[in-house]
Amino acid sequence: MNIEEKGFNEDFQFETPLAPKRTRLQEFWLLFRQNRLAILGLFIFILFFCCAIAGLFMTSGPDPLFDPAMIRLQEKLRPPLVKPNLDSLRREEIPCLGFYLMGTDDLGRDVFARMLQGAWVSLTVGFVAVGISVLIGIFMGGIAGYFGQHHIRVDHVIVTFLLISGTALVTAHFIRFGAVLLCLTPAYIFYSFLTQNRSKGKTLPLWAKVFRKNAVSVDTLIMRIVDIMLCFPSFFLILTVVALLPASIYNIMIVIGLTSWMGTTRFVRAEFLSLREQDFVAAVKTLGAGNFRIIFRHMMPNAVAPVLVSATIGIATAILTEAGLSFLGFGVPPPHATWGNILSDGKNFIFDAPWLTFIPGIAILIVVLSFNLFGEGLRDVLNPKLRGRH
Amino acid sequence: MISFIGRSVIQKIITLFFVSIVSFLIIHIAPGKPSQVDPMNPKFTPEVVERFQKEFHLDKPLHVQYFYFYKDLFTGETISWKDNQSVINKIWERFLNSLPLFIVGTIITWTLSFPIGIRSAIFRGQFYDRSATFLSYLLISIPGFFFAYVLIIFVVNQFHVPVIGMETFGIGEGASLPHIFMDRIWHLLLPSMLGATGGIAVLSRYVRSQMLEVEGQDYIRTARAKGLPPEQVHYKHALRNALLPFVTMFGLILPGLIGGSVIIESIFSWPGMGRMAYEAILARDYPVILTVNFVSAVLVLAGTFISDLLYLIVDPRIRL
Repeated sequence: MNIEEKGFNEDFQFETPLAPKRTRLQEFWLLFRQNRLAILGLFIFILFFCCAIAGLFMTSGPDPLFDPAMIRLQEKLRPPLVKPNLDSLRREEIPCLGFYLMGTDDLGRDVFARMLQGAWVSLTVGFVAVGISVLIGIFMGGIAGYFGQHHIRVDHVIVTFLLISGTALVTAHFIRFGAVLLCLTPAYIFYSFLTQNRSKGKTLPLWAKVFRKNAVSVDTLIMRIVDIMLCFPSFFLILTVVALLPASIYNIMIVIGLTSWMGTTRFVRAEFLSLREQDFVAAVKTLGAGNFRIIFRHMMPNAVAPVLVSATIGIATAILTEAGLSFLGFGVPPPHATWGNILSDGKNFIFDAPWLTFIPGIAILIVVLSFNLFGEGLRDVLNPKLRGRH
Repeated sequence: MISFIGRSVIQKIITLFFVSIVSFLIIHIAPGKPSQVDPMNPKFTPEVVERFQKEFHLDKPLHVQYFYFYKDLFTGETISWKDNQSVINKIWERFLNSLPLFIVGTIITWTLSFPIGIRSAIFRGQFYDRSATFLSYLLISIPGFFFAYVLIIFVVNQFHVPVIGMETFGIGEGASLPHIFMDRIWHLLLPSMLGATGGIAVLSRYVRSQMLEVEGQDYIRTARAKGLPPEQVHYKHALRNALLPFVTMFGLILPGLIGGSVIIESIFSWPGMGRMAYEAILARDYPVILTVNFVSAVLVLAGTFISDLLYLIVDPRIRL
C-alpha cells in the first residue's frame, strides 16, 4: 500500500517517537475514499437522512408546508411537473411549489408530500429495528462469548421455570396458585443468599448437591435459542405477528428488530471468543478491571466492526421488509403514507399513472442500494485481510 | 460419523420441540381470537361461536390445546378452521403448484450465478467485474414487488403475452398442446425469474469470493508457474477447489421448497404455498399457519443436517 510506505520512509527517524502520524479515523477515511461506490452510498444516505428530517417538519403540524392528506378530487392522477388547474382549486389547496413535482394520486393527493412523509417512516423503521436487533445481538452474543463457560445450575432452571409458570398461571386467572409459585421464587433466592455465606466450608447433603449440579452452559443455551429463532421463516413470521397485532408503526419496528438479531449474536460471540483469550484482556484483568469495564471499554471496540457492517446492511433489509409489509397492506395504517403503500395504491393505475409505481419504487431502490454499497465499503475497509488485495 | 449423526438428530429434535412451542405460543397469546374475525356476520351467534370453540378445543387450557394440535398433526388429521379440509391435503396441493416455480427459479439461479461469479473473479477489478458487482447490488436492493411490476409492464407491452396467474383463463378448451405448453412457460417464467434475482446476486458474489480465495493459494501459483494454459488453471485447478462449499449449499436450498414468496405469488395470483399462508394469516386459520411453520422448521433443520453431512463427505479435512 503506497500511502503507508510513503509515510513510513519520510518520517522515519530514531529520535522522534514512532507513534503513527494518522489517527485511526483518518486512516479509515483514506481507505474509504478510494471506494467510489461506497462514497456514493454515503452521499445518498446523508441526502436521504436530511430529506427525511426535513420531510418530518414540512409534513407534520397543524398547518404543514406540504399536506400529504389534502384531497383534491378534481386534480386526481395528474402527471409529474404539471401545473395545477388554478380555477378549480381553493387557495389553501394550491401546492406550495406551484406545481406537482411528482404528480398526484387517485385522490388528488400530492405524491411529493406523501413521499416526504414516507421517507421518515422508512428511516425510523430501518434505524429503530436495527437498533433493537443490534442491542439484543450484542447483549446475547456478549454473554455467550464472555460468560460462555459458566454453567446454569439445576436450581436456576427450576427457579426460572417456577417464575414463568407462576406468571402464566396468574395471567390465566389461577391467581392464588400462581401467586404461591411467584412467592416461592424470591424466597428461594433469599434462602440461597443466606446459605451461600454460611455454607462455604461445609459439604452439602446429597439432595442439595443435585440442585447444585450444572445443567447447561450459558453458551450452549444462547446458541440453541439462536438456532430455534433461525428455524422460523423470517418474512412469514414477521407477517404472522404483524397481522395478529394491532396495526402500528411501532409494532413493525419491534417485530422486525426481534426477528433479526441472530446474525449479530453470532458475530459478537465469535469475536468475543477470540478476544477473550488475548493478552490485552488478561492484562486488563490483572489490573483489576471489572467485567463490565472489560467488556464495554476494551473488548467491544475491537468487536464492533462486523456489527457495524451487518447493521448497515440490516437497515437496508429492514426498509425492504417494511415496504413489503406495507405493500401487502400490513404496514402503517392509512392515511399515513409510506413508500410501500404509495406503491401498493398506485399499482391499480399502473398503465394510466406509472409514476405512482415508479417514484416510490425507485426511491426505495436508491435508498436500499446506498445502504448496501455503504455497508460493503465499510466491510472492505474494516477487514484488514482485504486491504492489500486491490 | 454415526455418533455425529445421532447427536445432531437428537439436537434437532429438541430444537424442533421448542420451535413448536414457541410458534404455538406466538399465535395463541397474540391478541384477538379466530372467532372474532368477522363479528358483524349475523351467522356468528354466540351459540355458533361456542360450538366452534368446543369443536376445535379452544375452550381448553393452552397446554391441552397444544397437545391436541400436535397429536392431530402427527396423525395427519389436522383440519383447516376455514373450510374443514384436511390441512395436509391443502398444503400438498399448493406445494405442487409452487414446485415448478421453485425448480425453475433454482435452475436459473445456479446456472447464471456460477458463470457470472467465476468470470468476475477471473477479471477482478476490471470493467466486467465492477459492472457485475454493481448489478448484483442493484438486484439485492430492488424491492421484489416493484421489479415485478416493471417486468410485467415490459413483457406485456413488448410481447403481448398474458403473465398473471398459472395459465390463461379458459385456455383448456380447443387450444393445441404446444400452445398450452408455451402459455404455461410464459406464465412460469416471470415469477420464477423474480424469485431467482436475489439468489443470483448473492450466490454470484459468493462464487466470486470463493474463487478469489482459491486463486490466491500457492498451488495456483505453482500451476501457473509450470506453464499451464490459463483456462486449465482457472477451470481445472481453481474451480474444483472453489466448488467445495457449494456442494453443501444444496442442503440449504431445501427450506425454499415451502418458503414460496408471499409477495410474488400474490402479485401473479399464483395459487402456491406463500399465497395460502398469506390467506391463512388473514383468516386466522391457526392450523394452517402452524402446520406451514412446523413443516418449514423441519425443512430448515433437515437442510442444515444434509449440508453438514455433505460437508463431512466432501471435505476430508473436517472428518475428525
